[in-house]
Amino acid sequence: MSPQSLHAPEASPPPDAILNALPHPVIVISDDGEVIYANGAAQVALGGWIAGLPFAEIFPGSDESFERLIARGSALTLASKTHARYRALAGPPSAYGRVLSLFPDESATPAAIADTDELTGLLKRNGLNDGIERALVAEDGGAGRVAIHCIDLDRFKVVNDTLGHGVGDVLLARVAERIRSACRKGDCVARIGGDEFVVVQTGIASPEDAERLAARLVDLIGRTYVLSGHTVNIGASVGVAVAEAGNGPRDMLRNGDLALYEAKRAGRGRFRTFETGMDAALKYRRELEIDLRRALALKQFAVHYQPFVDLRDDRVIGFEALIRWDHPVRGRVPPMDFIPLAEETGLIAKIGEWVLRTACATAATWPEPMTVAVNISPVQFKSDTLVETVVSALAHSGLSPQRLEIEITEGALLEDTVNVLKTLHALQALGVKISMDDFGTGYSSLSYLQKFPFDKIKIDRSFVQGSDEDSEAILKAIASLGLSLGMAITAEGVETPEQLARIRDEQCTHVQGYLTGRPMPADGIHPFLSE
Amino acid sequence: MSLYQLVYYSRNAIAGDASVFEAEVDAILAASRRNNEAAGITGALLFNAGVFAQVLEGPLAAVEATFERIQQDERHGDVSLLALEPIAQRSFSNWAMGFVGHSAENAQRFAAIGLTRGFDPARLGGHKMHAILRDLTLEEEAAAA
Repeated sequence: MSPQSLHAPEASPPPDAILNALPHPVIVISDDGEVIYANGAAQVALGGWIAGLPFAEIFPGSDESFERLIARGSALTLASKTHARYRALAGPPSAYGRVLSLFPDESATPAAIADTDELTGLLKRNGLNDGIERALVAEDGGAGRVAIHCIDLDRFKVVNDTLGHGVGDVLLARVAERIRSACRKGDCVARIGGDEFVVVQTGIASPEDAERLAARLVDLIGRTYVLSGHTVNIGASVGVAVAEAGNGPRDMLRNGDLALYEAKRAGRGRFRTFETGMDAALKYRRELEIDLRRALALKQFAVHYQPFVDLRDDRVIGFEALIRWDHPVRGRVPPMDFIPLAEETGLIAKIGEWVLRTACATAATWPEPMTVAVNISPVQFKSDTLVETVVSALAHSGLSPQRLEIEITEGALLEDTVNVLKTLHALQALGVKISMDDFGTGYSSLSYLQKFPFDKIKIDRSFVQGSDEDSEAILKAIASLGLSLGMAITAEGVETPEQLARIRDEQCTHVQGYLTGRPMPADGIHPFLSE
Repeated sequence: MSLYQLVYYSRNAIAGDASVFEAEVDAILAASRRNNEAAGITGALLFNAGVFAQVLEGPLAAVEATFERIQQDERHGDVSLLALEPIAQRSFSNWAMGFVGHSAENAQRFAAIGLTRGFDPARLGGHKMHAILRDLTLEEEAAAA
C-alpha cells in the first residue's frame, strides 16, 4: 500500500450513521419540549422509539420544564423512567431545538437500589442518613424523642472464618430479621458495614425507652442461631445516642459510635448510652495512645529500681524494675494511666520487651549478683515469643537466669491457663524465678498457688498498710500458706517501722517499700548500695 | 428428607399472675399447634412457672424456622440449646404438640425429680431431657386414650 493511499479521498459516512454509531445517547428536543430525534444508543437506553414523546415523560424525575432546566446551565443530571441517571450536555439553541448528549452517571446508581442492602433488605448508609433526617424533622427536631442504636456484632468474623461466607450471609439476614422484630414498623433499620447495623428509634418519651430497646437488641441478637444444622452463637454491642437539640444525622451517628466504642471497651455484649464527656475521654485516650506509640522511639521511658530486702539478714538482695514515662508536656505519666492503654492496644509487647532487656542489661552491671524482678503483663503471655524474648534478653546482657525474677499477676492465669502454665514452666526450666504479684487483690484463688510452684508470693500493700484485724489475719494466713508451700513471701508497701515489725512477726521473708528504699534510677544504685 | 431433633429450655419471662400465665400458655400452644402442623413439626412442650422446655422434630429447615420464631419471642429468655441432631425417626410422631404440666400426676413427677419452680434443667442434658419429655408425653397419651 502506497503512502498516498492513506490519504486517498473516501466517501465520508452519512451523518446518521455516525450518530447511530456513537456509544452514548444523543437526542434533540424541540422548542415545544418534545423529542424529535433519538440516535441508536438513545433508543436502546431510553426505551425504543421515543421520537414524538414529551421530554417530561422520558425523564419523569424533573419537575421543571425542559427550557427551565436548560436555563439553569448547560450541564444537567437527568433520571430516566428506569432510574438510570445521566449527565446531559446541551448544545446551543437552534432553529430545530437543542441537541442533548447524555452520559451515564455512574457515580449515582438508581436511588432505590443504591439505598437497599441486597442481603438483608435493610437500608444502606445513604438511606440511613435520610431516615435519621426524616425522623428528626418529623419529631420536631428530635431532641429527646429520637434515638439511634449503633450495633456491632461480636465474634461474627469467627463464624465467617469457620463456617464460611454462605453461613455468614444467612446469619446476617437472620440478625437483620431479629433487629426488625424488636423495632416498631416505622423505625428505620440499616446495615452500614459487614456486621454493623443502625436502628433509628422514634417516638421515645424518655431515655429509658431507648435503653429498653438497646437491652432488647443485645438480648435478641445474642440468642443462639440454628443455621443449616449448625449452632451459632454471636453477641452484640450497642451504642445508643438520644438526639439533642440541633443534632443532625452526623452528630447522632458520631455519638452512637462513641457509645458503641465504650460498650466494646466495657467487654462487649452490652449497650452504653452516649454521655457528654465520652467525646473528651476518647479524645484524651487517642492522644495518649499517639504519644504512647512514639514514647519508645523518643526514649521517653526509663526504668527505675526499687530495692527489696531479705529479712533474715536485712540485706538488699535485689531490685524490682519499674517503668517510668516522662512526657515533655504531660510530665510524669503514672503507670496506672498508660499500662492499661498499652495492654489494650498491644503496645505492651514492645514496651514490656524493652523493660525486660533494659533491666537485664542494667542488672548485669551491678557490683553484686543481685536479683532483678521484672513485671510481665498477661497480654505478653498471649504472644508465643515470651520465652524466646527472655532467652534473648539474658543472652544479650550476659545475666545469669537465676538472677532474673518474672513477676506475674493472677490476671495472667485467668485465660488460656494451660498455655500460660506451659510458658511459666519453660521459664522456670531456664532457671528464672517466678513470683506471684499483688496477691490478695484479685481472685486470690489458692488453686493458682497449687497449679504452679511459684518461687515467691508478693502480698499486696493494702494488707500491709491496713491496721485492722482483718488485714492482719489475711497477712498472717498468706504468709503461713507460703511458708508451708515453700514459697518466699514479700510484703509490699512497707512505709513505717511499725509495719516492718509486724511483717517480721508474721514470718514474711522479704520486704519492699519506701521504708527500705524508694525506686531510683539505674545510676542511683551504686551510691545507694555503698551507703 | 432427613429429620432433626432440637431440644431447648428457656426461662419464662411472662410477668403477671397465674391467670395471665395460663392465658399466655394457651396462646402459645394454640399458635404452636397451628404453625407446627403446617410445617410438619412434632414435639413436646414442657413447662412450669420458671422454665419452658421443648422438643421440636421435623425437617431441618422447618425446625430452624420454628426455633428462630421461638427465639424472637419476648415471653421467654436465656434460651439454652440442649440438643440439635439428626434422628432416624420421630419420638413424638402422634402428637402435634404435647402439653404437660397441668395434671396432678405431672406436678408430683416434677417435684420428684426436682423439676419444681426454679429447678436447674441444665443438669439433665439433652438426652435426659428428651427422655423425660418422651416418658411424660407417652404417659399423657396413654391417659388420654
